[in-house]
This record gives sequence, structure tokens and C-alpha cells, in this order.
Amino acid sequence: MNALKRILLVEDSVRDAELILGALEPHQLAGEIMHLRDGAEALDYLYRRGDFAGRSDAQPIVMLLDLKLPKVDGLEVLRQIKGDALLKMIPVVMMTSSRQEQDLIRSYELGVNAYVVKPMKFEDFVEAVKQVSGFWAVVNQVPENLGVSENSVSQPPSGK
Amino acid sequence: MPTSQDSTGEASHANVDARSAEALLTAGALQTAIFKSANFSSIATDANGIIQIFNVGAERMLGYTAAEVVNRMTAADLHDRGELIARAAALSIEFGTPIAPGFEALVFKAARGIEDIYELTKIRQDGSRFPALVSVTALRDARDAIIGYLLIGTDNTARQEVEDERQRLDQVLRDQQFYTRSLIESNVDALMATDPEGIITDVNKQAEALTGCTRDELIGAPFKDCFTDPGRAEAGIRKVLAEGRVTNYELTARSRDGVQTVVSYNATTFHDRGRKLRGVFAAARDMTELKRYERTVQKNEIQRERDATHAKEMAIVIQELEAFSYSVSHDLRAPLRHIHGYVAMLREATAGQLSEKAQHYLTTITEASVEMGTLIEGLLAFSRVGRAEIRGASVDLNGLVQDVVRGLEMAAKDRPIIWQIAPLPRVIGDASLLKQVLTNLVDNAIKYSRTRDPARIEVGSAGEEAGRVTLFVRDNGVGFDMQYTDKLFGVFQRLHRPEEFEGTGIGLATVRRIVGRHGGRVWAEAAVNEGATFYCTLELASASREAAE
Repeated sequence: MNALKRILLVEDSVRDAELILGALEPHQLAGEIMHLRDGAEALDYLYRRGDFAGRSDAQPIVMLLDLKLPKVDGLEVLRQIKGDALLKMIPVVMMTSSRQEQDLIRSYELGVNAYVVKPMKFEDFVEAVKQVSGFWAVVNQVPENLGVSENSVSQPPSGK
Repeated sequence: MPTSQDSTGEASHANVDARSAEALLTAGALQTAIFKSANFSSIATDANGIIQIFNVGAERMLGYTAAEVVNRMTAADLHDRGELIARAAALSIEFGTPIAPGFEALVFKAARGIEDIYELTKIRQDGSRFPALVSVTALRDARDAIIGYLLIGTDNTARQEVEDERQRLDQVLRDQQFYTRSLIESNVDALMATDPEGIITDVNKQAEALTGCTRDELIGAPFKDCFTDPGRAEAGIRKVLAEGRVTNYELTARSRDGVQTVVSYNATTFHDRGRKLRGVFAAARDMTELKRYERTVQKNEIQRERDATHAKEMAIVIQELEAFSYSVSHDLRAPLRHIHGYVAMLREATAGQLSEKAQHYLTTITEASVEMGTLIEGLLAFSRVGRAEIRGASVDLNGLVQDVVRGLEMAAKDRPIIWQIAPLPRVIGDASLLKQVLTNLVDNAIKYSRTRDPARIEVGSAGEEAGRVTLFVRDNGVGFDMQYTDKLFGVFQRLHRPEEFEGTGIGLATVRRIVGRHGGRVWAEAAVNEGATFYCTLELASASREAAE
């Protein structure tokens, strides 16, 4: 079992990922970030299936979830996580390029924990990433059973 | 003695036994009776017309005594002079010889043995006149020479009056008929009367126009023949006869030259004084105009539906455009963020290694990306206004203005600005959107007056009309040329170069959009270097509305 508090970053844009990683690097948080490229991968990871079938480490301390994702989009990922008895306790921060009212409302309806608009200016962007990551990875407290072992992970409904 | 009473008929004289006649004459009985008759004027003259005998009847009728006229006047003197002239003229033509307009005119025919009875106006002693019927007979001696004339007259006044009255009544009747007829003729409807068999008995001009037939052609023709559907027309007549009346019975009249007119019939039966059914009186109203109106209404209805559909389609298109612009803006932000981010990372990675020129390039790239970011932000805000739901509530403009000015003043705190803010009324609107309006307008005022020392910015009301208040924001800044005023409120339209005054060209477009969505309008007045005033109208929160809240 990995004791590190891991941040799960689901981001299809390599550039955004690189910028985020670059932003977090000086704060020694980069090593704890798991970067996945689409919604399907994210769900496989959380449900420890497919490429992640043998994963035994704990669930992420926070999930930074891009709203627009290939395959399964951010809102659908969010819906599945928050609809799952165990996964729903993982804090999910929605990250998006612009504030779109219906996305914002839908996210909160689905139980999102935070909704962040990626700032345009790099300094602001770095600041936002730092704050979000710092808060959820450091300040925020989560229940013990958030880092559940593979034994207790619930199985997703077939076909989903 | 029946013969003595018959004073006029010569035929009676013929029947009288000659001997009896002689006896009568000898006795003077006839003469006495004639001359004593009060009802007939008997005037005898000599051959020249000089009156010789003037009986009681004449005295009574004409007002003269016998003594006043006998041997003093001629019979002509008792007549209207004008009539004598006319009679003389007429007789002159009749007999082809000139006849003097005096006594001769009275006795010309009698002198030639022609029985003559005429109507003339006689004149009384007092000058008054009356119509008289006069019979003239020549008196002859044994050698048949004329020795005088006998003029027997009756006062024709009563008869004349009866005649006049008859003529007057005839005139009244004609007037009455004319009046009735003109009522019928001036009716806008085509009127027809038929007998109980449906044969036309009378029509007016409109009916002639409707059918293209003359009155003479129509009268006597069957009513039903005037219509495209004679069966229905006949059924209409039967219905009237059965029910006494029909209303709004529609028929299509066909004129002789084929013109069809849709008419609506109102018809009733009519009766004579004995309550005997005489026929049907039918009035046809031309429905062409009404039909045309109905068609127009229908057409308008279709047009309205079309417009509504069009509006719906337009709304969808606008929605799609907004979604598109939003999505584009959204997608543009990511690469922009990347440009900005990578430049920042490049700068860090190359710290101390780049030339000043290279650093200037990086700075410019950063500035350009920020600028584009601002544009995209503006566009996003603008499209958001278009999609936002307007939540109408009573809004305190004073509070909004205060907030806006406080916020913007801080950003411009080192600038000398004199604020003049007048009390404003409450309006109906969406507070956050109205705040955006005020922010954009006041921000502009601050921006374009920054070359002024001091800058003067005024916010106030320019008046209220028809439930709306006109707000204004005025500055003493650089203003603009009014000929470009229509560009002012367009998206990305700017009147200043960016190096003079920064800006996206979205602020006023947003203002117009918000105010427009509130049902108001915006406009500006300005002159180059003389400041600018921006106006917008907003709905006043009425007293009743406030009370309800």
C-alpha cells in the first residue's frame, strides 16, 4: 500500500497537464500526481480494472477532473463516481476552460466538491493549481476508508 | 216646369214647343227667371260690348250695381287684361286674322255662331279676382243681324279649389311616392320584391347593378334566375314564405355578363292592408368586401404564424450562434493559456540567458496573449448576456451606482475625478446585469476622461416618460465624432486606437444588449474633445408594483 497522498489528474490536454505539473513541481507535489488522459481511463483506474486491474494502492486524495474529455466526459465520470457508494467520498475538483452556467450547475447537482475555471494568465493558473492541490492534498481531511484496499472496492455495474 | 229651369241647353230649347216658347217670351217669364237668378251672372251687351243688362247674379258676383255699369262699361272691362291679350293672340292664330285684345276677343267665336264657353278670370269692383266659367251667345234681330251679346257666367272658384286640391293631393302622392322610391333606391342593399310565386315585381338600382339587368328586364322574371344556384335561391323564397323571414341567407348572384357576387339575404314577407300575402321583400348585402376582409384577416393570420415560426427559427439560429461563439471562446482559451504558460515557463527556464531583445519578444507574446484573452472574456460576457434570463425585480439604482463608483474609483484612485451623482429612481430589472451596464458606462467615462484634470463624471436622470426613466452618464473626456455614433454600440467596434485608449470594443455592445433585453434603448451624444453623454432608458418601478413587493 502506497502511503503517499496521490492527486489524480484527468486531463486530455498534454499542454495543460505539463503546465499543471510545472506549476506543482516547485512545491514537491509533482511526484504524487497521477495523470490520466480520458474519462474511460479514469474510471478504469478508480475501479482497478483494465490496465489498472492489478492496482493495489489507495484511491487518490483528490481528483482534478477536466470537464471536456474524450470517450467518457468529465460530467459522466463525476456522475459515476458520485453514484458509487465508496467512490463518492473522493473529492472531485472540476477544472474547465470557461465558466459555463449549465455545466457548473450540473456539476454541483452531481455532487462536485469544487469547480475551478483555469485562469488565462500563467501566474494565476499556477496560483490556482497550487491552492487547489494544496488545499485538497494537505489541508483537507478525509475519512480513513477513503484509501481503501482492492478487497473492499465495489464492482461497477457490468458494461459501464 | 222643367224647361224653364234648364237655362243653358239649346237642345232643350229645340224640344220646347214653339208656341209655349212664344208664350214664355211674351209673358217675360223666362227673361225674368234668367235675370233674377242669383247664381248666374247674366250680362247682356250691345254689339259693341257696352253693358245693357246686369242681373242680380252679376251684381252679387262682381260687386257692382247695375246702375254703375249699364251704359258705362264694356264686358271686357270686367276681365283680366292679360288674359284677354292672350286669348286674342290665340284666336288670331286659330282664325288667321288679327283679333283685338278687347271685347272682340270675348265674342269673336260667338259672333260667328260658334258656341263658346271659356274660363277667364273676372275682376270685382274691389279689384279682387275669381275664376269664372262664361258662356257667350250672340243676340240677333229678326234679320239675323247681331244686336248684342249675352254672357252667362258662373263663379268657378269652388270648382277651381277642388281642382287645386286634387292637384295638390296628386303632388303629395307623387312626393310620397318619390320619397318612398328614393328610400328604396338609396339603400346600399340590392332590393327585390317578388310575388308569392317568386316572380320579381320590383327592384332598385343596386339590384340592377348586381344582376346587370334593367328594371324592366327584371320585373316579371323569376327571382331564382339571378343566382348561380337557382335551387337554393328558390328554397330561400320558400323558407321566407314558410317562416315569414330569413336572415343572412347566402347566395351567389350572377350578373348577365357573368360577374359573381356573394350576397347575404335578409328577407321578409309583405302583405296588403287586408293582410293578404303579397310577396317577399328581399335585401341582398354585397359580401365581397366582408369576404375580402375575411381573406385579409386569414392572410394576416397566416403571415403572423409564418412570422412566429420565423421568429422561432431566428431564436434557434441566435441560440446556435451564441452556443457557437461560446464554444469558440471556450476552445480558444486553452491554446491561449498554453501560449501564456509556455512563455512563462520558457522565461523561467532561460533565466539570465536571453538577450534583452529576446526578452522583449517574450513580453510582447505575453501581452498579445493577454489581450486576446481579454477579448475572449468580453465575448464570453457578451454572449452570456444574450442567454441570461432576465430576472425582473425592483432595483435600487442609487445603491448600484454607489457600488460601481466605489469599485472603479479605487482602480483610478490617483486620478483627480469630480463625481456628481444625482438621486435615481427605482427601476425594474436584473440587478447584476444593470450593474454591468453601469460599470461599463462609468468605466468608459473614467477611461476617456483620463487626460482631463480634473475629470468630471456625472450620473443622473434625464427625465421620466411613459413609465421609463432615462439615465445618463456624462464625462468631460475626449468624446467622439457623432458621425460614428452608429458604430459605437457594435461588437468589436472602436472609435479610438488601442494605443490611445485600450479596450475590447465589447463594453458598449454589452450595454446595448442588456438594456435592449430590458426593453430599453441606449444612445450617446458627444463631440470631439467635449466629452460624451451616454443615455439609456429603463422601466420605472411603479408605486403599485413596489407596494406589491
